[in-house]
Amino acid sequence: MTTIEEAAAKIAAAGPCSPRLARDPVNQATVNTWIEAIGDANPVYRDPYFAASSVHKGLVAPPAMAQVWTMPGLRGARAGDDPMGAIITVLDEAGYSSIVATNCEQTYHRYLRPGERVAVTTELEGVAGPKRTALGEGWFVTTHMRWTVDGELVGEMLFRVLKYRPAAPEPPAPVLRPVISRDTEFFWAGLRAGELRIQRWGDTLRHPPGPMPPDGALDTTPDYLVASGRGTVYSYVVHHHPPVPGKRLPFVVALVELEEGVRVIGELLDAAPDEVRIGLPVVAAFVRVDDDLTLPAWKPLVSGEAGSNRPGHSRAVSELPPLRIDASTTFVVSTALATRDFQDVHHDRDAAVARGSQDIFLNILTDTGLVQRFVSEWAGPEAIIRSVKIRLGVPCYAGDTLTFTGRVLARDGAEVEVAVSATGKLGEHVTGTVALTLPAGAS
Amino acid sequence: MTLSRAAAIAGIGATEFSKDSGRSELRLAAECVTHALADAGLVASDVDGLVSFTMDGTAEIALARELGIPELSFFSRVHYGGGAAAATVQQAAMAVATGIADVVVTYRAFNERSGQRFGRVSAAAAAQVNSSGVDNAFHYPMGIATPAATVAMVAQRYLHDYGATSEDFGRIAVVDRAHAATNPAAWFHGRPITLAEHQASRWVAEPLHLLDCCQESDGGVALVVTSAERARDLRHPPAVVAAAAQGSGPDQYVMTSYYRDDLAALPEMGVVGRQLWAQSGLGPSDVDVAVLYDHFTPYVLMQLEELGFCGRGEAKDFIAGDTLTLNGPLPLNPHGGQLGEAYIHGMNGIAEAVRQVRGTAVNQVRGVDAVVVTAGTGVPTSGLVLTRD
Repeated sequence: MTTIEEAAAKIAAAGPCSPRLARDPVNQATVNTWIEAIGDANPVYRDPYFAASSVHKGLVAPPAMAQVWTMPGLRGARAGDDPMGAIITVLDEAGYSSIVATNCEQTYHRYLRPGERVAVTTELEGVAGPKRTALGEGWFVTTHMRWTVDGELVGEMLFRVLKYRPAAPEPPAPVLRPVISRDTEFFWAGLRAGELRIQRWGDTLRHPPGPMPPDGALDTTPDYLVASGRGTVYSYVVHHHPPVPGKRLPFVVALVELEEGVRVIGELLDAAPDEVRIGLPVVAAFVRVDDDLTLPAWKPLVSGEAGSNRPGHSRAVSELPPLRIDASTTFVVSTALATRDFQDVHHDRDAAVARGSQDIFLNILTDTGLVQRFVSEWAGPEAIIRSVKIRLGVPCYAGDTLTFTGRVLARDGAEVEVAVSATGKLGEHVTGTVALTLPAGAS
Repeated sequence: MTLSRAAAIAGIGATEFSKDSGRSELRLAAECVTHALADAGLVASDVDGLVSFTMDGTAEIALARELGIPELSFFSRVHYGGGAAAATVQQAAMAVATGIADVVVTYRAFNERSGQRFGRVSAAAAAQVNSSGVDNAFHYPMGIATPAATVAMVAQRYLHDYGATSEDFGRIAVVDRAHAATNPAAWFHGRPITLAEHQASRWVAEPLHLLDCCQESDGGVALVVTSAERARDLRHPPAVVAAAAQGSGPDQYVMTSYYRDDLAALPEMGVVGRQLWAQSGLGPSDVDVAVLYDHFTPYVLMQLEELGFCGRGEAKDFIAGDTLTLNGPLPLNPHGGQLGEAYIHGMNGIAEAVRQVRGTAVNQVRGVDAVVVTAGTGVPTSGLVLTRD
């Protein structure tokens, strides 16, 4: 057992810290600030008349605010027996100085009402590490928080952070270069000249090219045809993981059937993954890497041609209407403050950059709120959210646009489980699942 | 002379399956062979042949030195990644049947999680200066650079052509993990999954979710092959090699046979299947257990079609209900497969086939007479039919 594991075992063995009361009771002013920042229009949180006749029989607080009530605030300090503070100190001293939240799994036993005052306890579940991550070597720290009102358990949360030693930024990986033979050189020379060249033996086209003709005659030599570049997607892959040198995740690679009849592989540019479908008309593009190498690629023939239908893939599941969130600087700052998260990386650009980020970025409490909003807008104002479990991917920096997509995973009567994903410029920002109960009479 | 029923697998051995073995690949190889010889009731000096994969990092002579195998009269390697698995037994059986060797051990041992991870991009595969490197030039630089991505391209077309869904792929993962859950040797022992969990798992290469992909594992498996006649005198009832076949199809590539008329098929496994049935005199309806290579779930469906268990595009209907469960008509991968037990390049599946024939598996299927077991898919591949004596 390492020193860190020993220290963690000791902290975990101490069990939960003593309950810490929220500064303020659940109150409408804080709710209003939050729903305004998140953009959640559900009337059960703000309209007393609607709420009174709803399934809740009165106003309730958004369940995704659970953690907001017991946030320590701008000047707050951790209690002496808070296990999170203790393990952070241990890891800081071991050189794992940076922190990022990775998972947040909230379960709501019931909704909170204005006037109720929440208390929270935190318990260390454990640490795992050291792990090599994209950010650097680090330890995953898992805590379990429980929220109570007068001793009644109203909600709980598994929260996981990565405490890491920042790695020196690596230069962007170069592309994987092709091995070129005497038989294939003309193809690569063509790409450098902006031509998609297909090997031709008499009337027969062949791709990928090779040294022998279809009839096996040793006295014939091939030439090539310059393809029109037009074709249709025969099949495709949306690559999410792991990283590939020279590519930004996620990316689409398409196997295209040219109108001349052969199939050629290339990255499909300028098309969102959910716009791609088999049969999509495309045209060749040429991606120059350097003087020696140009790669073949594709672009949709007509922009907007793609459509969002993805046959054979998602046809059998119910999809939620997508939600786009413009994560402007104002949005990032206002949601951070509305969730009572005063970490500087969410409102101070200079501080964020000094810590290695390219800008301020969205906080995890907001992600939980946005996921709740996205699913509620589909399920209706009286759907009851039972849990929101999310995992963070790439950061969402100010200026990005997030697109939330979701689909029903399982449905048992009124009980529904939904998978959610939010993607921005850098790739997948959040994935997760939401469990909810649909209102009576919903179909 | 025919190969069918001339040889048998008389011993099986494995290391533990882990994510970090903490020892060298050579040590893993030596351990699994030691266990396999003990299982057969043989000693190192009985061995005169060794066979492995070209991808294996342990040379036959290094293994012979460590184990004290004094002389080798037969050594051979089989190419094309996991497609080699069953072919190592075919090599051994041919050597035994022709009198070239008497006791041949086949092995595969690697630190495939803690060392070189197969799920990552292999720059070396892209850069090799040979005909395979030239082949790889037409997809690696464009971004088809991992095993999952190569399979996803075929899987996407399969969904399109036959109206299957990601959930149909997921049903394979659910069955494998259910079987692994009751196999103490499996990495995912005690950890079954639901179809909803499969659907919620993150994308690796659409249309493949994380739970469509096998594990990366550390470990080793070895098999002892000798004549059926000699095997009868050894410790366990022989698992007779009723058929052993290799197959490569038209316009074949390694994982990227994208230029065939029909993309959504595995004709190389059809080549294997036709030989298996012809050699053994058996057919799909005679098979009591199917151990099908499951590095990625879509290829299990396509193997069922290529081997003749159902028609082209019908696997999604064939696997409905309890078909693949331990008490179903065609139990699949009772050990949990490579999705559930471990990814040892298909060799752990052959060991499971032997246990099922012996009647000693932890998830034993009742009344097993014949087991079909296959090797890596999407590549030139191989397969076996093992039967009771």
